[in-house]
Amino acid sequence: MSSEAFALHAWSMLTAAVVSASCGLVGTLLVVRRMSLLGDAIAHAVLPGIVVGVLAGGRLGGPLVLVGAVVAALLTIGLTRGLRAAVGLAEDAGSGVVFTTLFAAGVVMISLFASRVDLDPECVLFGILELAAFDVVSVGGLEVPRALLTATAVLAIVASGLAATWQLQIATAFDQEAAAAAGIPVAAVTTGLLALTAVATVAGFEAVGAVLVVAMLVVPAATAELLVHRMHQVALVAVTVAVVAAGLGWLAAWRWNTSAAGMITVVLGGFYAAAVVLAPADGLLARLVRKLALDWRVAREDWLARIWRAGELAGAAGESVPRPRPRTGLERAAAVWLRLTGRVNRSAGKVRLSKDGAREAETVVRSHRLWETWLGRHADLPADHLHPPAEWVEHHLGQAMRERIEAELAEGEADPHGREIPPEAGRPDGPPSVV
Amino acid sequence: MTLATFGQSALIAMAGLGLTHNTLVVLGGVAAVGCGAGVVGSLTLLRKRPLVGDAAAHATLVGVAGAFLATGRRDLPTLLAGAAVSAVAGLLVLVLLRRFTRTREDAATAIVIGVSFGLGLALLGGITARGMPGGGGLERFLLGQTAALTARDAALLAAISLLAIVVVMAVLKELLLVAFDPAFAAATGWPVGLLDAGLMVLIAVMVVIGLPAAGAVLVTALVVIPPVAARQWTERVGVMLVLAGLFGLVAAVGGVAVSSLRSGLATGPLVVLVAAAICLASVVIAPRRGLLARRLRSRFDVGGDRS
Repeated sequence: MSSEAFALHAWSMLTAAVVSASCGLVGTLLVVRRMSLLGDAIAHAVLPGIVVGVLAGGRLGGPLVLVGAVVAALLTIGLTRGLRAAVGLAEDAGSGVVFTTLFAAGVVMISLFASRVDLDPECVLFGILELAAFDVVSVGGLEVPRALLTATAVLAIVASGLAATWQLQIATAFDQEAAAAAGIPVAAVTTGLLALTAVATVAGFEAVGAVLVVAMLVVPAATAELLVHRMHQVALVAVTVAVVAAGLGWLAAWRWNTSAAGMITVVLGGFYAAAVVLAPADGLLARLVRKLALDWRVAREDWLARIWRAGELAGAAGESVPRPRPRTGLERAAAVWLRLTGRVNRSAGKVRLSKDGAREAETVVRSHRLWETWLGRHADLPADHLHPPAEWVEHHLGQAMRERIEAELAEGEADPHGREIPPEAGRPDGPPSVV
Repeated sequence: MTLATFGQSALIAMAGLGLTHNTLVVLGGVAAVGCGAGVVGSLTLLRKRPLVGDAAAHATLVGVAGAFLATGRRDLPTLLAGAAVSAVAGLLVLVLLRRFTRTREDAATAIVIGVSFGLGLALLGGITARGMPGGGGLERFLLGQTAALTARDAALLAAISLLAIVVVMAVLKELLLVAFDPAFAAATGWPVGLLDAGLMVLIAVMVVIGLPAAGAVLVTALVVIPPVAARQWTERVGVMLVLAGLFGLVAAVGGVAVSSLRSGLATGPLVVLVAAAICLASVVIAPRRGLLARRLRSRFDVGGDRS
């Protein structure tokens, strides 16, 4: 590729990245305020505003068009709320009526005034990112795409607007009533957010078209929310995701010769999917690993406790007993693992706990019986209902909790089934150490 | 039968205007689609999920492009079959996101809308850029274009619409129970999840067969606006369903008819504008719930309900 062609691509890619950054930024607040679909509605509804702005003599990305778009966005909100107040129509249905109507009106206007409007229905849907690099203005001797200048101005407006009201926005987003009580002008803050959304949307609209703006608004923030939890971190990650996706999407579209707007969205979707699977705390993979680790520990502890109980029945907890039948595949694996790690010794079809194994088993059985005792005292359950909850809680009761329960018991008290409660491991039988 | 009679007389009137047989059949098919969309949309409106069709609608594009790429054919049944598969897949993704992630429901809906549409555009863009034979014309599914419909296509659309209406009628009682009181329905042993899933599939089907007339971007309006308008006129479900069907029919036929006046006009926006006009009229002049009626009541009937 010639350096000239590459310069064209680089300019368009930069434009896409700047546009994405503005959208990702306002999207953070939209998503957290459950206003994602409002973003979708605004993205469609700005179209007639843009067309009117152009008809009134403005040019794409110029101030007239911006004003038209902001008016159209506020009109959408106003009409939706008006329908709710006037005839009790729910807001989602109302916005469904309003944004489709406004978008349809915009498309029809474009068709009717085709000669006077430098837009066509296709570019409304696909965006004109590919053409952005051809409409240039000279800035200090450098030929810069006009769309990039607009996008930069929009980013400056959005970023400074949000930075100036960030604390107010967050307070309003998380608890409107508390914010109102604290004297924050909630309605003005919300209107400001909607206006900034409209401004960001206009830039995005021009770049990627009406429908894909919603992806640019919502997907980066939704991705960031899966990865981090503090609002300023969410905003930073969202902007990063948006910018990187714009770059990669642009390159992918160039590589496979297809719509840049479409590919940017697809890359965004890929990032979101990756976050759903791989997010460190909440990702599907992390949850699966946590669940497997828990299942594995439960299987090990159950196996040790079964041998320990069998020995107790046979006379003494340390006795050799016939090997129990594993109930699950995981328990079978746990049995092998425990033998390999020296917690269970096996000889001639019989098994016997080692010293370490016995200590771990006692902790489990002790937790189990303490919990049964506690439930028996406090939960007013019949004796045959105590076992199932204890079977689960035995794996989750810490030492501090065990000692608190034990402190309630009389010296040498047995569990509700009359069995002895083993002492805390590593502590000779005596009074609990916690007061 | 009033609807059929209405449709018939409308067709006869248009025949008088010198419209061809094919145009008439297409208008008949579009009328049935509008009617079915109004009826099925009424149930999703009552179920308080008016925008679920939007996610399905935007997901259809992937299926249209995918079906073309997979089969190399561009006849309507093939493309719509692909659209149906991807619409249902989009709804399935939505359900899974809601079930397995922390993402809020509205954000999940927006993600399905945006990303599936983007994927569809990327596929369409790739098809166009490679100049694949027969690949041109797939864009008509974006904003709707009925000019290319054949009589057979229209008959197929009409048959599916009527089938959807019949299905709705067959399980109307159950669907309404779930719509009005899902907790009670579940407590009395009705399969709420299954009925909801069925309604989702119905709306996906209506959105798919609404594509030729209204296009992926605007077909939502076909299942949202007529029911909203119909709701203004009545407190009775039966009347609402008939009116929604009627309004949908008028909007679809009116939009397609107006678009035929000028070549190159997409049908979708015009269908939506006709529906919006009906809706606006309903909001203003409907008895009891309409704005005028409320205004009059509050003026002459002090203490009357304006809640």
